[in-house]
Amino acid sequence: MTGTTYSSSTDPADGLAASVALRRLADRVESAEVERALRDGWSWSEVAEALGVTRQAVHKKHAERMASRGVDLRRRRS
Amino acid sequence: MFNRFVKDARKLVIRARETACSGGSPTVEAEHLLLAFTEPRGGALAELLASAGLDREGVDLAIGAENERSLAAVGVSAHEFDLPPLGPRGAEPRFAASAKLALERSMKIAVARGDHRIESGHVLLGVLDASRGTVPRALELAGIDRKDLSSRVEAAMLAGALGDRR
Repeated sequence: MTGTTYSSSTDPADGLAASVALRRLADRVESAEVERALRDGWSWSEVAEALGVTRQAVHKKHAERMASRGVDLRRRRS
Repeated sequence: MFNRFVKDARKLVIRARETACSGGSPTVEAEHLLLAFTEPRGGALAELLASAGLDREGVDLAIGAENERSLAAVGVSAHEFDLPPLGPRGAEPRFAASAKLALERSMKIAVARGDHRIESGHVLLGVLDASRGTVPRALELAGIDRKDLSSRVEAAMLAGALGDRR
């Protein structure tokens, strides 16, 4: 692979911190995209399947935040 | 665990949890403890930190810079993500290892000093004593000398200048 800034010469301190920062970034991407999908009419089951987790897991992680953001969850069957 | 913490030190831990919660973090990290010291009217320690450039804005900037630098190490530009802030989540954030370690260190520091109670100064020393992780990296990027800052905290504690409520 060319053009990447990641290599074995990266200081492990930076490399380890990068994995932490990526995890946090992934959480923010997930939250934003779950909100977008739900607003577009996706069901929790569809969101869960797209993320590769159970419906319970995705609901537990995001339901309250979505409700507080005014995403209308009432009409959803699942 | 918190029975040896004086009232102000307990409040600080609670504030760290609130800070994590309002920022949408699923966990309370050491940086949330540091942020908890930077509340307006945060007292002598907040002033001491602010005099080193670590008011709320300063700490936020330092943490942001650390995040940017860490992502840059794997070729990711933090600026390319136009994401909404996470905002509060429902569940109470749990204490992650970085915060637990900082609190454990604060207790060890108190024992080593022969102090029976844990004051907010001990907690700050425990946070500043980390050699790895987000906090020391952020402070380094902000040009902070952690050792020097710690000795100033210790001096303020010795002078009895912190006035912690028990």
